[in-house]
Amino acid sequence: MPCLETIDLCHRYAPDEAILHGIALAVPEGSVYGFLGPNGAGKTTTLRLVLGLIRKQRGAISIFGRSLDTHRVEILKRVGSLIESPSLYEHLTAQENLALLQRIHRAPRTRIGAVLELVGLAGTCGKRVGQFSLGMKQRLGIAAAMLHRPALLILDEPTNGLDPNGIIEMRDLIVALNREEGTTILVSSHLLAEIERFVTHVGIVHRGRLLFQGTLDALRRERKPAAPVALHTADDRHALRVLADAGVDAHAGENGIVMPAMPPPRIAAINRRLVEQGVDVHAIGSAGGDLESIFMNLIGSRAA
Amino acid sequence: MRSVFVDTFCCEWLKKRRSLGAWLIVVGALFTPTIIVVVRLIRHAQLPALYANPEFWTSLWRSSWESMAIFFVPMAVILATSLVVQIEVRNNAWKQVHALPLEPITIFFAKLAVIVLMLAQFFVLFDLGIYLSALLPSLLVSGVPYPQAPLPLRSFLADTAIYFVDCLPIVAAQYSMSLRFNNFLAPIGIGFLAWIGALAALSWQHARLVPYAYTMLDYLKDNPAARSVASTSGMHVYAMSWFVLFTLAGYLLFAAKAHKG
Repeated sequence: MPCLETIDLCHRYAPDEAILHGIALAVPEGSVYGFLGPNGAGKTTTLRLVLGLIRKQRGAISIFGRSLDTHRVEILKRVGSLIESPSLYEHLTAQENLALLQRIHRAPRTRIGAVLELVGLAGTCGKRVGQFSLGMKQRLGIAAAMLHRPALLILDEPTNGLDPNGIIEMRDLIVALNREEGTTILVSSHLLAEIERFVTHVGIVHRGRLLFQGTLDALRRERKPAAPVALHTADDRHALRVLADAGVDAHAGENGIVMPAMPPPRIAAINRRLVEQGVDVHAIGSAGGDLESIFMNLIGSRAA
Repeated sequence: MRSVFVDTFCCEWLKKRRSLGAWLIVVGALFTPTIIVVVRLIRHAQLPALYANPEFWTSLWRSSWESMAIFFVPMAVILATSLVVQIEVRNNAWKQVHALPLEPITIFFAKLAVIVLMLAQFFVLFDLGIYLSALLPSLLVSGVPYPQAPLPLRSFLADTAIYFVDCLPIVAAQYSMSLRFNNFLAPIGIGFLAWIGALAALSWQHARLVPYAYTMLDYLKDNPAARSVASTSGMHVYAMSWFVLFTLAGYLLFAAKAHKG
């Protein structure tokens, strides 16, 4: 049974502005589920619906096997969330912000220090949150989301505002929470490269439609068998002339030259020919095999 | 077992710590008494006669309430109520509040209870300020004794309680509007216009029906020089009725909101 499940979730902000079309999420218990999609794809709207922040128009949402419509309070006791920018009271300190939530969730008071330590904000005692950097606020938002040891953690673009080191720390934190405490984590992002290192499952949404859902391995299997070949040289114009002479239908792409799919011996022969003609080849290989390309292909082909 | 409402109320009370709304309560309550102290220190030569007057306390009470009942109390209530709700809007925190395991009714009434308690705090501080405005000149100016007249504490507390009830319709109306509009200026603008309307309605015979007019009517009802001709009988029943009506309407609008934060 999925930890979180949505069935035929549809939403529109205006009669002619459909945002979601039949989203059917299934987040397995114990997973780290990456909810991916470009900006404006419908990720935040979906997560807001899941938390009851937007009134549901059509479809069903169940969390921990119970309907959100009828067990909202019971469900939210076991859910932590960070939607878009963190909700923090800037005139209060980090401890005071967490004390508000600790009281509502009836978590032990010692958790405040523990989560602040965990996100690296233990030394901010008397400092008001208004004086925090964007990264510090983001960390505090995450500390607030995990204060009560939720069984399900919903994080919407949690690395926003974090520096590269902060992103790595965030990734480690999510992995640790998932492995050590068994927390199911639903994390949204518009960058596959950012989350592919720690997610176990992926859902790809584009223009309000769920294009793919499954494990990361299943996504990798989506790799197109006949991927084009990418070529990077020191002199692309010269290389294109050589390729045209060889009868190869190549063209200049955004990142170098793109050639049609071909078997490896043919790639090796082209490489030899380019070198013989005085073209320095920097890189040559199959394009579109990495996850980012699969993601872009999915968005490009299925949503068309 | 701790009640969810009490916990939510404590959280709401903590949220207003160091906020503009909390400061407004303190500054607004002590403003008029401070002015009275300053004026009396400047005109200290008249103080011995004033402090020997058997009507000293009644006279001080009325002069302290004059500006408060007409202007400062309605304005402080309009501003403080809106500022307390703005804490959530300004910090983009409604979405977190609504993602907590709390029923909308708990959220709504816990915040309203905080505002009502702040109003009570305002009146307690104001009463204390009035007492200090009598005490301080006698301590600071030589030859001025402590007022000879007995302090009519019971009567003052009863008056304060009545003014408190008078403010409740304004609290409920401003609270409901502040929850409805994210823009801080909208509820304050409407509140200010309602106050001007109430001021204009003072000479109307049915002024007791105007929810923003009660503090003014209560102050003016015993003043023979006042231009108010309104009947004030049953006025506090009207005040409570407006309070209940505005609170219910506010809750229904709050609970029915399609987008929560």
